[in-house]
Amino acid sequence: MSRTALRVRDLHASISGLDILKGVDLDVPFGEIHAIMGPNGSGKSTLCHVLAGKPAYEVSGAMAVDGASIVDLDVHERAQAGLFQALQYPVEIPGLDLAVLVEEAAVALGAGPEEARERIATQARRHRVERFLARSVNDDLSGGEKKRSEMFQLAVLEPRVIVLDEIDSGLDIDSVREVAGAVDEVRSDEVAILIITHYSRILNYVRPDRVHIMMDGQIVDSGGPELADELEDGGYRAVRSRLGIAAPRASSRTPKASEFFTDTPFDV
Amino acid sequence: MTTAAEPAWLAGLRDRGRQALASAAMPLPYDEDWKYVDIDFDLDDFRPAEGPSGGLDRDVYLEELGEASSRLTMVDGTVVDIEAGEVEIHRSADIPDGRLAGLYGSMASPQVDVFAAANHALAPPGAVVAIPAGRTLTAPVVVDIQAVAAGAVSFPHVTVVAGPDSEASVVVLYRSAPGAELLISPIVEALADRGARLSVSVVQNLSGAARIVAHHEYVAERDSTLRIGEVGLGGLYARQRLGISLDGRGSSAQVSGIYFGDGSQVLDYRTHVTHRGPRTTSDIFLKGAVADDAQAVWTGLVRIEKGAEGTSAFETNRNLVLSDGAMVNSVPNLEILTDDLQCGHGSSSGPLDEQQLYYLMSRGLPRSPAEHLLVRAFFNEILSGFAAPELAAPSRRAVATKFAGAQQRAAS
Repeated sequence: MSRTALRVRDLHASISGLDILKGVDLDVPFGEIHAIMGPNGSGKSTLCHVLAGKPAYEVSGAMAVDGASIVDLDVHERAQAGLFQALQYPVEIPGLDLAVLVEEAAVALGAGPEEARERIATQARRHRVERFLARSVNDDLSGGEKKRSEMFQLAVLEPRVIVLDEIDSGLDIDSVREVAGAVDEVRSDEVAILIITHYSRILNYVRPDRVHIMMDGQIVDSGGPELADELEDGGYRAVRSRLGIAAPRASSRTPKASEFFTDTPFDV
Repeated sequence: MTTAAEPAWLAGLRDRGRQALASAAMPLPYDEDWKYVDIDFDLDDFRPAEGPSGGLDRDVYLEELGEASSRLTMVDGTVVDIEAGEVEIHRSADIPDGRLAGLYGSMASPQVDVFAAANHALAPPGAVVAIPAGRTLTAPVVVDIQAVAAGAVSFPHVTVVAGPDSEASVVVLYRSAPGAELLISPIVEALADRGARLSVSVVQNLSGAARIVAHHEYVAERDSTLRIGEVGLGGLYARQRLGISLDGRGSSAQVSGIYFGDGSQVLDYRTHVTHRGPRTTSDIFLKGAVADDAQAVWTGLVRIEKGAEGTSAFETNRNLVLSDGAMVNSVPNLEILTDDLQCGHGSSSGPLDEQQLYYLMSRGLPRSPAEHLLVRAFFNEILSGFAAPELAAPSRRAVATKFAGAQQRAAS
């Protein structure tokens, strides 16, 4: 078995006194793609944010990238440790050109300016974002274009642990295929990829090595890609009844505003 | 300082200024146009500047502008150098009675406040910059307004007249001797005649101990276009009353500007737009930042007169508040006396966006450079399409330098 790229042990997180992650354990080895699936409100996005170091959460437990703990690192230091998070809702930054952001970030991550510009040119062609380079970050882009921009940044910054938070949400089928193609391209023995999604569409195009099911802040089941198929057929209800987990009571937490704007119905 | 050789029309103007000055008092905080600021100095604290002392060396803005073909240089209110180039530049005292003489001092009224009155009463002969009808300038006209005498108040007065269907860019640069405590009370007025396209960019780059109370007044005639750019950087107290009168049918004014206050600076903008002609449009967009204990004030009054139907008027002010000690007062105001119009206003003040900061940091940028990128992005919305493109780069650098200083002070 190859080296563990991302290791998470007994990870707890709460916000405003509300427990969201309740002891997450996870290992993603280099060279593998894992998927975390779970219904809305199960804590998937929180897991992403806690891994990336977003402030505002109370966190306990262990997180390590390639054996080195990232628990005490600030957001940018985690990126420098090799972590990249593609966001479900990429933030718009009017006035900041994508090319400027990516070059500054690549240099901050250790690339020489020359090398950074070369990578930007190559990847911009590959991800068809040349048009966006001299435009404001994520400003005035369609959902699909934003995700392409995220995948482009990822490709330039060459991270070792990639967390894709709902990278397929809000996309039409062609865009999902395109994002899946981009994921396939960065796949290598030196990279671990964690795809977080609440439905299995993207997994039809990127076959994961392992699938984990998250419910109520914990990983409740792990298995091969066939686990995604089981979900596709029977939904989370089937998984719950197989594992003997009670359905959650209505509204165990206040939904985020963003969850009201997803393109898919709540699959509780 | 009145010169004996002053023509009668100019002496008459000065008399009216003296009368206004005699009945004017220093503003009080409850005067409508002086709310939110506490004026802690008096005109009498400063002696009127004597004839000009030596001028200042070129600064970064002049370097960026290169060899302007037309240049007017004033030191302590006195015209010291004229390179007319593509336009006509006259000392006011040399202008015979006539149209140009009639425009000089006609737009900025001495009745507005004590500073405007004092300028009319006490200013040395100023200058008129006239762009001939139909002429399109190839380079900006540079008006370099310097103040050097410590302890003095100076009264520069410049009138710009853009002839019918002319097209011109004028850059007004305010600067002062480093460390000199002084006051500038200038009048800059500009007329865009029928069909003229006039751009005026103002860079206030005074040193830290200078105060300025500026009156800038613009008048737009039929189908003319005014484009006004503002960069506010320096001064201890820096105020500008920016008045625009859209007199002619179909005339328009677009104002876009940035300012950055740090230390204990007070940057005070009062915009007054009056729509008089039908189908006139105005759009004001100011973006500013305050750090340390600085204060920024913007009050924006848009008045739409009866008869100005089919008007569109917008004003927006956005502020970054970069420290707990900094303060912003941002107050848009509309006065509407007609029915057929489109207008809107917006105002916001707050810290850097935490979501944006998190996004940049998640890409590997440490907090400080990430904040720098966001400050730059904030001002870019204005500077990327600035009225005088030459001024964008030095303004970006000036803002970055000021922000870096504020970050350092905050960290120590």
